[in-house]
Amino acid sequence: MKLAGLSCLGLGLTACGRGFGGGGDGSGGGGVQLNMVWWGDASRAQKTQAALEVFKKKNPGVTVKTEYQDSGPYKDKLATRFAAGNPPDLMMMRMDSLREYADRGALLDLNQHAGAVDLSGLSGSVRALAAVGDKNFGVASGLNSIGFVVNRTLTEKYGVKIPDGNTWSWQDLATFAREISKASGKKVYGTGFEAYTLANLIVFTRQRGEDFYTADGKLGISEATLVAWFEMFQSMRADGGFPPAGFFENVGGGAEQSYLAKGAIASQIIPTNNFLGYNAAAGGNLVLLRMPGETTEKRRGQSIDTPALWSVAAKSKHPAETLKLLNFLINDPDASRATGTTRGVPANAKVATEVRPSLAADDQVATDYLIGLQKEELPRSYTYPPGSSSIASGLQSIAAEVEFKRQTPQQGAAAFLDAGRKALGG
Amino acid sequence: MSGPKAAPVLDRPVAGAEASAGPRRRRPAKPPQDRAGYLFLLPWFIGMLFTVIPFFASLYLAFTDYNLLNAPKWIGLDNFAEMLRDPVLHQSLKVTFVYTFVSVPLSLAAALGVAMLLNRGVRGLSVYRAVFYLPSLLGGSVAIVLLWRYIFGLDGIVNAFLGWFGIDGPGWTTDPDYALTTLIVLHIWTFGSPMVIFLAGLRQIPGMYYEAAAIDGASRWRQFRSITLPLLSPIIFFNLIQSLISSFQTFTQGFVMSGGTGGPANSTLFYNLYLYQQGFSQFNMGYASAMAWMLLVIIAAFTAVNFLAAKYWVFYDN
Repeated sequence: MKLAGLSCLGLGLTACGRGFGGGGDGSGGGGVQLNMVWWGDASRAQKTQAALEVFKKKNPGVTVKTEYQDSGPYKDKLATRFAAGNPPDLMMMRMDSLREYADRGALLDLNQHAGAVDLSGLSGSVRALAAVGDKNFGVASGLNSIGFVVNRTLTEKYGVKIPDGNTWSWQDLATFAREISKASGKKVYGTGFEAYTLANLIVFTRQRGEDFYTADGKLGISEATLVAWFEMFQSMRADGGFPPAGFFENVGGGAEQSYLAKGAIASQIIPTNNFLGYNAAAGGNLVLLRMPGETTEKRRGQSIDTPALWSVAAKSKHPAETLKLLNFLINDPDASRATGTTRGVPANAKVATEVRPSLAADDQVATDYLIGLQKEELPRSYTYPPGSSSIASGLQSIAAEVEFKRQTPQQGAAAFLDAGRKALGG
Repeated sequence: MSGPKAAPVLDRPVAGAEASAGPRRRRPAKPPQDRAGYLFLLPWFIGMLFTVIPFFASLYLAFTDYNLLNAPKWIGLDNFAEMLRDPVLHQSLKVTFVYTFVSVPLSLAAALGVAMLLNRGVRGLSVYRAVFYLPSLLGGSVAIVLLWRYIFGLDGIVNAFLGWFGIDGPGWTTDPDYALTTLIVLHIWTFGSPMVIFLAGLRQIPGMYYEAAAIDGASRWRQFRSITLPLLSPIIFFNLIQSLISSFQTFTQGFVMSGGTGGPANSTLFYNLYLYQQGFSQFNMGYASAMAWMLLVIIAAFTAVNFLAAKYWVFYDN
C-alpha cells in the first residue's frame, strides 16, 4: 500500500517535469521555437549561430533557441533533460551514447521520415553510423578521423626529420619522439597522447586485424593487443620520448590549453576537425600526418568517423520543423559554408566539394586529408553497443594504473576486458 | 550559559495565551499571531515540498531499475545486492572513509589549536578570525579547487619549493598515490568553521578555573587536559558530528580536481561522485538512489555510534 503511494509520487514527479516542457515554445506571434543543444566552444557557437541565421531567413516563423557547453557536462545535462521529460528537439549525440537513448525509445527513427530528411547524398558507411537494425537514429554532423600533428617549428629547431606520414610505423614514431626529447634536453617531449582515448586504441586494434567492437556488440579486442598498447607507452616512456607518468594534468579546455600549444610536446593525436584550432593555438606550423602503422601493420586502422551525430527527440513537439532544420544542416551548402568544418567535413559529399573553396586554409588541409581517406578501402567499423559509455571510463582508470606501474600491462589488460565484458552484458 | 535564563522568557507569552483562553473556552481558535507565524513559515513549507517529494521519490527509485528515459521497473532489493558485488563502489567507499578518518581528526585538531592560539588575547582577533575562517567559505568552491590544482601541479608552487631542496616532487594531482592526499590537505586547510565554534566555546570557560589550577601548580598541559578538554567536550562533539557528516558527503573537490572522473585510477572517486556518475552518466538512476539511501544509513550509523560513545567522554557542565 505504502509503496504503491510512493510509486505514484515517483511517477508523478516525472509527469510533473513533462508539464514544464512547453514553457518556451510557441511564443513570438504563432511562430515555432525549436530547442537545439550541442557541445563545443565559443568559436563553434559563432559558426553555428551564423548557420541558424541563414535558416531563419529561409524559414520565417521558425526560431531556434540554442544551448551549448563543454562535452563533459553536456552528457550529464542531456540525460537530465530527458529524465525531466523536457528533451531538446535537435541535439548533438555522442557515438557512445547513441544506443543508450535509441534503445530506450527516446530518439526519432529517421527512416520513418525519409521524405523530410534527404540522406541520399551520404555514403553507405556514413549512413550506417547511426543505424540500429532497420532504424536510423541520427545523421553524422560531419566527418572526421584522427590524425597525428607534428609541430614543424620544433622539429626544425631541434633538427629532427619528420617521418613520412603515409608510411610510418609505430616504431618510427618512437624513434622520432626519442630524438626530439634528446635534442631538446627533455624541454620538449617528442610525443604525448592518451592511452585511454578510445579512438586512439581503436586504430591500433584495427591495424592488428581485430575489431574493438564487433558486429554483434561485443568487445573484440584481444588481451595481447591491449598488452602491446600499454607496453608501447611504457617503452616510449623509458626511452624518454614520452612524458613521465603524471605529466598530463586534467587541465580541460580545448586546443589553447593543450600541451602542444604550450610547446611542451612536439606531436600528438587530434581529431582532424580540430586541426584549425590546434594549428592556430600552436603557432600555425603544424603538419597533419596519418596515424603510424597504417601500412606496416596487418591492415588499415583508420576509419571515417563523425565527431557527433545529430539526433531528434522522439518527444519533440515540432518534429516537422526540427527535421527541416536537420535537413538544412546536412544538405544545404549555405549551412556548411557558415559552420565550416567545426563538426567535421560535410557528410554530404556534394556539399563538401561545393564548400571546399570557401573554407579556411587549415580546414582545407583537414578536408583533403579526409577526402583522401574516403577514396581508400578501409575495413568497416561497428556502432558502439549499449553499455559502452562505461567502457571509456574503465579504460581511463586502468590506463592510469598501468601508467603508474600499480598494475602490469598484463594485469591491466585482463582487468579491462573483464570489466568491459561485464558492462556489455556478457 | 544563557540558555536556562532565556527559556522562561520564551515561555511566558504562551502561558499568558493559555490563561486568557480559559474564560472563552468555546472558541479555542488559534491566536492571530500563530497564523502570522505560519504565514512567515510558508516559504519554508513550500521549500520543504521540493525536499520531501524527491526524498520519497528517491526512496521508491532505490528499489527500481530506472534509466532516466523509461518508467522505473520494480526490482526489489536487487540494487542493494548489486552494491555488495560492485568493486568500484567498494573503492569509492574506501576513498571516502580514508578521506574522512584522516582529514576530520586532523582538521579538528588544527581548528582547536588555532582557536587556542587566538584565545590568548591576540590583538585584532576579529581580523585573524576572519582570515582563518575564509578558507572554509571557499574550500568547497570550484575556484579554490582549481587554484589548488595549480599549486599542486607538476610545475606548481609546491614542487618548485621542493625543488630548492633537490626533491623531485610527484604529480600531486595526477599520481594515484598522492591525489587523495592533496585533497585531504585541502580539507584540513578549511578548518575555519569548527575553529570559530571552538573559539566561542573557549571564551565560555571561566578564567577562574585556570587561575585556581595555576595556583595549585598545574602545568599548561595539565590545565588543557583537565579543564579545557572536558569543558569543551560538548563543542568538540558537535564539531565532530558536523565534520563527519559533511566529509561523508564530499563531492565538489573530487569532481573538480579530476574533471568528474574520480581519477587518476579512481583514487579520488568519492562515494557521492560515483553516485553522480551512476545516476547521470551511466543511466543507472535506480542504483544511484539506492546508493544515496545507503549513504544515509552509513552516516546515521556513524552518528549513532558517536552519540553512544559520547556518554563516556562528553561532559555537560550543568
